[in-house]
Amino acid sequence: MVKILIFAIMAVGWNIMSGYGGMFSFGHAAFFGIGAYSVAYLLSAHGLNPWFGMLFGAMLAAIVGTVFAFLCLRYKLEGSYFALATFAFAQMFFLLTENLEFLNRTEGINIPILQDDSWLMMQFHPTSYNYYWIGLFLLVAAVAVSIWFVHSRPGRFTTAIRDDEVAAESLGIAVLRHRLITVALSCAITAIAGGFYTQYYMFVGPNQGFGMQVSVDAIVPAVIGGVGTIWGPLIGAVVVGGLSETIADLVRNPPAGLEFLQGLSGLDVAIYAILLIIIVVFLPKGIYGTIRERLRK
Amino acid sequence: MRKKRLSIAAAAALLLGLTACGDNGGSSDEIAIGAVHPLSGPLAGVGGMMNDGAELAVDDINAAGGIKSIHGAKLTLMDGDSEGSAAVGQTEARRLVSDGAVALIGTYQSDVTENVAAMAERSDVPLVIDVAIDDKILSHGYKYVFRIQPNASTMGASGAEVLSQIGKATGQDVTKVSYMHIEGAFGESTYQAFRKEAEKQGIQVVRNVSYPATNFSDATTAVTQALSGDPDVLVVSGYYPDNLLIAEAVKAINPNIKAVFGIASGAYDDTSFPSDGGAAANGVLSANYHYSATSKRAQDIRKRFQEKYGRPMETAAMLSYQAVEVIAAGLEKSGSNDPVALQNAIANIRIDDTLLEFKGPIEFDDKGENKNATVIVTQVQKGRIEQVFPEEFATSDLIFPARDH
Amino acid sequence: MSKTTNFSPEQTSAHPPLLKRRQTRIILATIAVAVLLVAGVYLLGGQPTRLVNQALISGVLLGGVYALVSLGLTLIFGVLHIVNFAQGAMLTLSMYTVFMLSTQAGLNPYLAAVLTIPIMFAFGWAFQAGIMNRVMGDTSHERPLLVTLGLSLLIINGLLMAFGGRPAAVESPLAGSISLFGTLVDRPRLIACLGALVVGALLTLVLRKTPLGLAIRAVAANDTGAALVGVNVKRIYAMTFGLGAVCVAVAGGLMAPFTSLIPTAGEQFTTLAFVIVVLGGLGSIPGALVGGLIVGLVQTVGSLYLPGGGSLLLVFVLFLLVLFLRPQGLFGAKQ
Repeated sequence: MVKILIFAIMAVGWNIMSGYGGMFSFGHAAFFGIGAYSVAYLLSAHGLNPWFGMLFGAMLAAIVGTVFAFLCLRYKLEGSYFALATFAFAQMFFLLTENLEFLNRTEGINIPILQDDSWLMMQFHPTSYNYYWIGLFLLVAAVAVSIWFVHSRPGRFTTAIRDDEVAAESLGIAVLRHRLITVALSCAITAIAGGFYTQYYMFVGPNQGFGMQVSVDAIVPAVIGGVGTIWGPLIGAVVVGGLSETIADLVRNPPAGLEFLQGLSGLDVAIYAILLIIIVVFLPKGIYGTIRERLRK
Repeated sequence: MRKKRLSIAAAAALLLGLTACGDNGGSSDEIAIGAVHPLSGPLAGVGGMMNDGAELAVDDINAAGGIKSIHGAKLTLMDGDSEGSAAVGQTEARRLVSDGAVALIGTYQSDVTENVAAMAERSDVPLVIDVAIDDKILSHGYKYVFRIQPNASTMGASGAEVLSQIGKATGQDVTKVSYMHIEGAFGESTYQAFRKEAEKQGIQVVRNVSYPATNFSDATTAVTQALSGDPDVLVVSGYYPDNLLIAEAVKAINPNIKAVFGIASGAYDDTSFPSDGGAAANGVLSANYHYSATSKRAQDIRKRFQEKYGRPMETAAMLSYQAVEVIAAGLEKSGSNDPVALQNAIANIRIDDTLLEFKGPIEFDDKGENKNATVIVTQVQKGRIEQVFPEEFATSDLIFPARDH
Repeated sequence: MSKTTNFSPEQTSAHPPLLKRRQTRIILATIAVAVLLVAGVYLLGGQPTRLVNQALISGVLLGGVYALVSLGLTLIFGVLHIVNFAQGAMLTLSMYTVFMLSTQAGLNPYLAAVLTIPIMFAFGWAFQAGIMNRVMGDTSHERPLLVTLGLSLLIINGLLMAFGGRPAAVESPLAGSISLFGTLVDRPRLIACLGALVVGALLTLVLRKTPLGLAIRAVAANDTGAALVGVNVKRIYAMTFGLGAVCVAVAGGLMAPFTSLIPTAGEQFTTLAFVIVVLGGLGSIPGALVGGLIVGLVQTVGSLYLPGGGSLLLVFVLFLLVLFLRPQGLFGAKQ
């Protein structure tokens, strides 16, 4: 469950930049990893409280994201090129972390384990529901921020820029500034998800923070649910999380008649892959987006 | 120190959790052990095999009457698929614990094990590591985590020791070696420990080459670089594909060295290495933990494994088998399925009839490491992996220098 | 987007020169920079000459392998503008096909590679015609990307179910190596490297000299325009994906003899292939060849100085620099 919440927060963050901002990012792992590593490093090396670590990570990610996006926009990278640039950017962070001594290189960082549950240090017994409540709180906050953003002036300008950059510019909208605001917000939310990840799993390494899989995990729920919609990423995260869980359960305890499939490694992921393709092909606007469109008609 | 009151509370909470989950193995005549291995993803081959090894152990123990001190309670194995990812591994371990597993085994990869270990410690459920080499896992002072195999620095140090002994035993000069290791904690800590011990033994490391764990598809340059120091022996630490590439590059370059000597190599004692490597594999030495080819019991287990699953049982699967036995012995000793009591029992356990070639019984020190874990040397001879050193474990005579030019 | 590819309409003249003058200049400049760098490594690098020789040779061979994998991608990326995440998985699929044909049917692996070509063409064609064509057309990038991602997961796990995860090997009858200036040239790798040149040349011929090639270039330059003059764009998409899959089949066939075959064996090439394709220029065949060579050399020679994954970091820095400074790639047409 907590994992679904983490995916959902990430997807909400990704959706702001790529759904509303129209800048397709394939490197959100960079910002997730910055959040995750900020918490892990500041806590393990300097004893900084993880709540502050999360805030710091969010700020750092926003700054890094803004600088990077500025470079990309300055050099007019668009579409697939922009996506590949973000991808390369995340890969660079991955390789850099693997080579930095103070981040423990390939070994990753462990959160010191406490004996008692502590709200202050955000650590509880692994089966505790408190993780769930914190994740839910963060998710609600992220959604609230994105609702606020979409209805705010900068948010409206941002979607205007996405829909027609030239028209927006001719109306006097500061294109670059609004795009950078969008990116900063998106990166900050993603970094929060990363920080929470570290606290929940008590460990982060280069793969968990900056791996390509992380970037994919940010995109899939948003696309499945509906890009550029408020509720899409949430629905997507629940569907994706629920789907992979159900399939894994099914393969573990197959229904009568299919016992020979039990324990066949790879089957659950293969089924998941097929369902993913089917959803993307037949629901062009995602689950929520398609339903909304039908209802409007 | 963990407060006693707290552990009782935790145990109570856990038991509550167990009763809440009802039918999933919480009852006292069925005791569940959770196994977390990479059942899909790049390591699915070895992960599946380890899971089979654990399953065979559970079946054998049940067939022999289960846990006698708990009214012959039967064991069940609940498997978790880490997919080779640390986060997934931990999520699976959490699931297994909340479904009522009294102990965990796993996980083959160091970073996944690190994650699962943190979870196990926080939940007060013992984790017996079958395979995972990184020293760091047991460096946090965890109480609930135990490891059967030797860690990286033990392997590096004993590797240097046996290499020097081999030189002395055969009257060959082994004074200069080059070391090639995979990037990352495993390669780095094995190398550091090797160098420290080698210097004591009068062996000099003339070149140290580390290569990347990904995108390593041609070893010729790295091997040439390592050989440029004119070493007597090339020492290698890494995983299967990269170590195979290195052996092939050595064969192609055909340098004037006495042997390729793997330490904790994922390839050189693997049963598919002799056929995959062909002539390149011939004579390659490997210092690694190894299933006991001299033990009747291990031979019998391997034979039945082959019959049941249709493939040879590698050392990793034997370690999973052994891990289940350790937990079963712990249950037998504690006489209850309470994880906290089980931790205490395993911490003080002694298993004499080990399935691996160790220098003594399995006993854990206060960090959770197996005190008597050690390496033995195997060699590829006539397309087979033979145990060759130390002599008491030998199934065939050591050939050294190991290369024909 | 479509303007940035290398299939610009002016190349459709009757006898186009193989390389345009601007391209020749870029090649010369690249060679000059490379020679300077290599000379620097020899003179100031502080490494034994023989080792540098070996690094260069290995780098060229590795570059050839990378180029081989990238050729199919540059076609797919250049014409269809989709980020094909299944490139590596398709490579693995062709390697396993070769493995099956050579161990089960006892064929020579190179003959098996030839037989793999029609199989992979059909696979690529069917995938594009049956699935991908449904998710293309709008401006979104995420849907095609997710579908190829799904395909990649499906192939990897399908292979895992069918073959298990234990490494398999394909024996090459030509295994071994030749020695050259005191360095070793691995024969199967050399063949793969030459294969890249042959595939590159054939692909250029198909694009330049056949009606299909003309249609592909027309679609790449402007798909709406092509549709207006009667080209069946969706059919061309499918043919292009099929052709891309053919390149992958050849790559898989030539690489199988020196690869430890596991279901994820091809994955490491996906990322690098993208780097190479963008470096060389979208849709540019000489670009893919030169790009592959550059990445192979940077990785191998760089590894003499930067241990472990450090040389890969160099590759990505180079990639970002090219993206910022020359986003159309070395051989791409100007925007």
